[in-house]
Amino acid sequence: MIQILNTVLIGITAGSIYSLMAIAMVLVWRSTRVVNFAQAGMALLSTYFGYEVIQISGSYWIALPVAMIGGAVVASIIELVIMRLLLKHSSQGAIASITPIIATLGLLGLIKSVIGYFWGNQDRTIVSPLSNVGFTFGTNTLAISPMKLFIIIAILVLVLSLTFIFQRTNLGLALRASAYSPEISRLAGIKVDLVRTIGWALAGAAGGVAGMLQTANGTGTLSPDSLEFSLLLAFGFIAAVIGGLDSLIGAVLGALVLGLVLAFVLTYVGGSLVFITAFVLLLIILLIRPGGIISQKAGRRA
Amino acid sequence: MHKLKSNNLLRLIGFVVFGFFLFYLSNAIDELRVYQGATVAMYVVAISSIILLTGYSGQVSLGHGALLAVGGYGAALLRNNLHAPVWLSFAGAVLVAALFGSLLGVTAARLSGPYLAGTTLALAVGLPSIANQFKFLGGEQGLIFDIGLPPASLGETFSQYKWFFWIAALTALIAMWWLQNLLRSRYGRTWRAVRTQSVAAELAGINTARSKVLAFTVSAGLAGLAGALLSMTISTVSPSAFPLSLSFALATGAVLSGVTTLGGVMIGAVTLVAIPEIADAFTQRIGASENVTANLPGLMVSGLLIVVVLFVPNGPVEQFRNRRKK
Repeated sequence: MIQILNTVLIGITAGSIYSLMAIAMVLVWRSTRVVNFAQAGMALLSTYFGYEVIQISGSYWIALPVAMIGGAVVASIIELVIMRLLLKHSSQGAIASITPIIATLGLLGLIKSVIGYFWGNQDRTIVSPLSNVGFTFGTNTLAISPMKLFIIIAILVLVLSLTFIFQRTNLGLALRASAYSPEISRLAGIKVDLVRTIGWALAGAAGGVAGMLQTANGTGTLSPDSLEFSLLLAFGFIAAVIGGLDSLIGAVLGALVLGLVLAFVLTYVGGSLVFITAFVLLLIILLIRPGGIISQKAGRRA
Repeated sequence: MHKLKSNNLLRLIGFVVFGFFLFYLSNAIDELRVYQGATVAMYVVAISSIILLTGYSGQVSLGHGALLAVGGYGAALLRNNLHAPVWLSFAGAVLVAALFGSLLGVTAARLSGPYLAGTTLALAVGLPSIANQFKFLGGEQGLIFDIGLPPASLGETFSQYKWFFWIAALTALIAMWWLQNLLRSRYGRTWRAVRTQSVAAELAGINTARSKVLAFTVSAGLAGLAGALLSMTISTVSPSAFPLSLSFALATGAVLSGVTTLGGVMIGAVTLVAIPEIADAFTQRIGASENVTANLPGLMVSGLLIVVVLFVPNGPVEQFRNRRKK
């Protein structure tokens, strides 16, 4: 019984971090129609910013917002310098739907080598600011610690505020409109280019937080090739796809489903099948619903 | 009609001449270059499988590394357990990967752009790690794939690497010859039609779903062949030989080659092999620090990829042709 409960808790913690990455992907997808594979690279870079701040100030709590802002700045620069050019140059042609994907893959490699140049390939450590020892319940230790509790709450707050921005504010309306039809939005007086940059910045900020939380939640080591960031890259995107790339709620839902299923496989079947389970889960869900769990009716192709 | 036939003959002669050129080249260059030549041949096959899938049929795959793994494991299992001759283990690799690809293709045909990219990415992350779960796949160490020594009739000084190169180059030449014929046939035209205007293609009586599945199957078969070649050059198959970065490298190579034509496939393959060399030579000359040495190749590949996507998205060959047309 206690094992099932613990598995659920582990699944929810992991899933909530994936959900932040997934939301970042959805934000970029909905504002620019680009699947951003560089997201994990941006998150990693922001986490290194956070690491530097910890080295200077010694506090995780100062580093967290800095990583968030750093992520937003990096994302806006990328959008301004590369994505705008890309949209201008290769929005038509035979492989127009594929070029953005390839470009962000290139960005991922670029960011990784920049990190490798400045910080080297050796491991760095971020010490978890709160205790990572689980609460005890009678004689049993639960798989939830003050740190994990903080992670879940922080992500809940972020997800709710991002959803609020997206669904209830003028900025959110502008974001949705400019993804739906840039031409019409421009005519309606929306500064589409600026709105796109803001969409990227929001996603970058979310990625920065996800990176900081993921590092503190896991082993605490930070390196350009760290497994944790491959997980963020792969599972964040898989979660977004499972949920349906157009929906914020879908992203959270997809991430939680993914986190829970993976946690159960990890506990009851074995670690080496975790990755292929993610693939099978994705396959099953997409076979039933080719547009993800929460997908719009066909016909909307903005 | 007559002109078409003579064109075909010309191309065949071209392939044969190029084959002889490679044969003389293999005698003229040193061991390391011969080995790199074998790697280039492997990349040519792998990249062409992506070009077929993406450029002709319009489907994205970020998971071709996984299909290479299927081919590599297929070849190694055949060779180790049934003592199949080399050519048979290669053929087996193609068949196994094609079968796997057809299953995957049935799913893929239902998915659009980013969803397909996600599925194939998940496959590339997931599939190689299966080897750790099953004993007959050899776990983390993987399996040995030994094609044996070169035949004694080639002489005592004939090296193993040169043997690899001969096999890989010949395989690649045959595969390219077959593929470029296929792409010029009814199938190639059908794929292009489905990619550019799927509705119009359907109205013209083409079964778009079947055409997509077929493209995926053929592409997977080629990828399996590339996987067998890769396993041959490193003599083993293991999960670590097919990382996510291999899949990304192949996608990179395809874009550098120009994804809409087969003509530039050598460009991408040679670039992938040459860039680490160039970066190495450069860092040695200026005596750069360790951080630069370790990251320059990645930086160069990624930078090149972004530049190509921004300025020549259809690849250098297509760009050149368009300019000549004007």
